[in-house]
Amino acid sequence: MRVELRGITKRFGSFTANDAIDLIVEPGQIHCLLGENGAGKSTLMNIVFGLMRADEGEILLDNQPVRFSNSGDAVRRGIGMVHQHFMLVPVFSVAENVVLGFEPTKSLGRLDRRRAHSEIRALSEKFGLEVDPEALVENLPVGLQQRVEILKALSHDAELLILDEPTAVLTPQEIDSLMDIMRSLADDGKSILFITHKLKEVRAVGDVITVIRQGKIIDSVPPTRSEGELASLMVGRDVNLKVTKEAVHAGDPVLELRDVVVRDDRGITVVKGVSLDVRSGEILAIAGVQGNGQTELVEAIAGLRRVESGTITLGGRDVTNRTPRQILDAGLGHVPEDRQRDGLVLSMSVEDNLVLNTSRRAPFARRGTRNLAAVTANAEELAQRFDVRTTSVKSPTGSLSGGNQQKVIVARELSRPLTCFIAAQPTRGLDVGSIEYVHRQIVEQRNGGLGVLIVSSELDEVLALGDRIAVLFDGGVMGVVEPTMSREEIGMLMAGVGPS
Amino acid sequence: MTDVAITSTSTRSDVVPHGRTRAIGVLMIIVGVFSAWAFGLGSVADAHSAFTFTPVNVSSAVPWSLGQLTVLTRPTNLVLALLMIGLGVEVYVRRPSAPLVRFSIVAALFLIALLFWACRTPGPAQVPFVNLTSVLIGSSAIAMVLIYGSLSGVMCERAGVVNIAIEGQFIAGAFFGSMIDSTTHSFLLAALVGALSGAALGWILAFLAIRYLSDQIIVGVVIVTMMSGLSSYLNLQILTPYPNLNVGNIASNIGVPLLDKIPIIGPTLFNESGFFYLMAVLVAAVSFALFKTRWGLRVRAVGEHPQAAESVGINVARTRYRNVVLGGTIAGVGGVAFMATQGQFQVGYTSGLGYVALAALIFGRWKPSGAVVASIIFGLSAYLVNALQSYNVPLSSEIIGMFPYIITIAVVAGLIGRVRPPAADGVPYRRD
Ligand SMILES: Nc1ncnc2c1ncn2[C@@H]1O[C@H](COP(=O)(O)OP(=O)(O)OP(=O)(O)O)[C@@H](O)[C@H]1O
Ligand SMILES: [Mg+2]
Repeated sequence: MRVELRGITKRFGSFTANDAIDLIVEPGQIHCLLGENGAGKSTLMNIVFGLMRADEGEILLDNQPVRFSNSGDAVRRGIGMVHQHFMLVPVFSVAENVVLGFEPTKSLGRLDRRRAHSEIRALSEKFGLEVDPEALVENLPVGLQQRVEILKALSHDAELLILDEPTAVLTPQEIDSLMDIMRSLADDGKSILFITHKLKEVRAVGDVITVIRQGKIIDSVPPTRSEGELASLMVGRDVNLKVTKEAVHAGDPVLELRDVVVRDDRGITVVKGVSLDVRSGEILAIAGVQGNGQTELVEAIAGLRRVESGTITLGGRDVTNRTPRQILDAGLGHVPEDRQRDGLVLSMSVEDNLVLNTSRRAPFARRGTRNLAAVTANAEELAQRFDVRTTSVKSPTGSLSGGNQQKVIVARELSRPLTCFIAAQPTRGLDVGSIEYVHRQIVEQRNGGLGVLIVSSELDEVLALGDRIAVLFDGGVMGVVEPTMSREEIGMLMAGVGPS
Repeated sequence: MTDVAITSTSTRSDVVPHGRTRAIGVLMIIVGVFSAWAFGLGSVADAHSAFTFTPVNVSSAVPWSLGQLTVLTRPTNLVLALLMIGLGVEVYVRRPSAPLVRFSIVAALFLIALLFWACRTPGPAQVPFVNLTSVLIGSSAIAMVLIYGSLSGVMCERAGVVNIAIEGQFIAGAFFGSMIDSTTHSFLLAALVGALSGAALGWILAFLAIRYLSDQIIVGVVIVTMMSGLSSYLNLQILTPYPNLNVGNIASNIGVPLLDKIPIIGPTLFNESGFFYLMAVLVAAVSFALFKTRWGLRVRAVGEHPQAAESVGINVARTRYRNVVLGGTIAGVGGVAFMATQGQFQVGYTSGLGYVALAALIFGRWKPSGAVVASIIFGLSAYLVNALQSYNVPLSSEIIGMFPYIITIAVVAGLIGRVRPPAADGVPYRRD
């Protein structure tokens, strides 16, 4: 399908998120959109998908102007979309989520669950995206939820596929297979709009790369441009894509895990006796394919999940099965994997989210009353430092772009006194400029003597940040290795193959 | 603004502190100990309680007579109390993930022990015997109304709109139902008009909540206040001067052949008015529609995550309108059903049943079947409040009247496992 956008403009109050955007996607083309956090990419995609209405401009599909009154129309016209923040109902099963809106039925409007399940199985098989159709979405780690979201978009044989950061939480293998899927769909003449912050992916799969900055199109370039060039086009300055780290000076352990056993929501033991030490002044990175227990392990450390047996010691104090507040007060900084569920209160302002776990204390509260001036001042300083793009720190956090929401959490957690910092996918959805900044912050904290635990599905990030790398497989530690180990060897460990 | 509304935040089962389950065990034990002390030891050793089973009003129609059952009050109640304590201990020790069933049993046992104690001889009550079948018939009448109300709540809240206005819809249904029935002598017409009046109130709630994103709780309370004011005004202006507009017929019972001859449950369940059978059909229909059909899947999606529903082309506003109006309709019929069991419309005679229905909805975890269980317990306790008054027991009926609310508080506080309302329940949804 040929897609043409003409002069699309979208304003939120006085703020212009999309400014007269013209864009053409040819049939069979993989068109990449690059842009900083808050550049207006998701907004534009939501307009194409009929979720938002443009203030000006028009959309043409195969040279026919269209006006969607809702996204059901868009789907019927052959558009499928993977949303940056998954549009999944947590209490529904995978199958229910995938068929929602287009359900197979029997007589009396009864849902045909059996057919839904077999359709999902067939889809999974066809695209190599394995997932249990009967599992409840809320029980799945984000990586699997991402698969569900992709399956949902693929389930209608869309002629135009919009992928808004589909790879943010996928493993390298999954990313490769998604790219294969994209290529073969494009070869069939389908058009694809692909948003990602990972320059490698853009260059590997894109036919055209369009760069958006502050709601305007800056340039369209071929994928032959180097990563450095793309990065500076995006941010408007040179970006250092390499993490520079000083030599490690590790001290005493600040976080000690001893034989920690944790179950998942279904009661299955998924962390099977993990023992690890995070020492002050070092970064321990956990590598592993999603679903090998890392999600549950992090939740257990943060007090969000029960530890069945074993102990967790933070800064010398036993914090096993303490409440999240006790653990945070004991000096744990935590960036959760699912930012919208566990990290933010979306309907509350940015400034309030920035003090979510410190609002009880001075200077934000005094004798039980809040000091709102201090809250605002804190927010303004952090927004400046971490480059949180928002019209005002009093805006609801839900109105921020995905990457900027992530920055709010990172800023909050890194701005209080900590003994240990633990982050799951800390740079999920951040643009290259922000990744550079967050990585530098993490390294600086580590230089200042903080113990850091990073969980990332991004092997590059693990290798770049980790002073030591722990590989998790099937709920156990396969080994703790140096970052100098080759990617292949680490990949073997991640697949459960031990060193011979 | 699709992004702004609160997206679901679910608590995971693990997060519910185990201490809470323990707390509910302790609560159950306390209830048991209290029953042993008050209802067991509170009766003199040779006191006995007598029961009959043959319904008074239909005795000629039933081919059976079960005679009279007399039990010694103290030992019986001590056994019941021991059962309660036993269940409490079990919950405390084993910490089952869903102690709701055990809790419901303890609640029912408590009410039964209370009844035994209240009607004992020698005792203050001076009732020679209690007709158990009459108790059940009386309770089922109240339970029926509660079920109408909580079904209405299920319809609305599953789509994400809180309907606090059930009480107002009951009032409207009862008022107009009485007028129509008095003039036309047709409960069918009365039900239709009651349904319309409930639907109209539902529409007002939906309109303000969906179109103007008003706070649903406030709109609901306003509707109730308006209806109670309006009904007392109209009562004064119309019903009082023209008493033949409010004659207060009681709907006659229709026996189900054969089934109504079954001892005890026959008269309770199978010799009821058309409203009762309609209620049963509605429970089955709503359960089926919500959990088995495409329609239900979409409604639940709207109540859980409206953005996700919108993103697959489901019209959130339309779904909510439709459900709230349907919910209003059901509550309106419920009001007529109430009037058809109580007679003559009187100002304020629904006495908060609409709110009890909401409590039943929560206790029943937003499921029709759960709401039925809750309504039965609440109906029983509401009936006992009235009965105890006539028994003259030295116990304030207001205390018993608190019973449904106390257990609802226990449920809402998360004491009894996990109660999770639809994630977007009560949250206005705004499209871009
Ligand atoms: N509902 C809204 N109300 C107000 N402002 C909004 C709303 N949605 C988006 N914005 C603003 O529009 C801008 C563009 O947001 P958008 O989500 O399109 O960014 P993005 O390019 O997708 O960024 P990211 O890479 O972080 O996902 C942001 O500055 C955001 O704050
Ligand atoms: Mg985005």
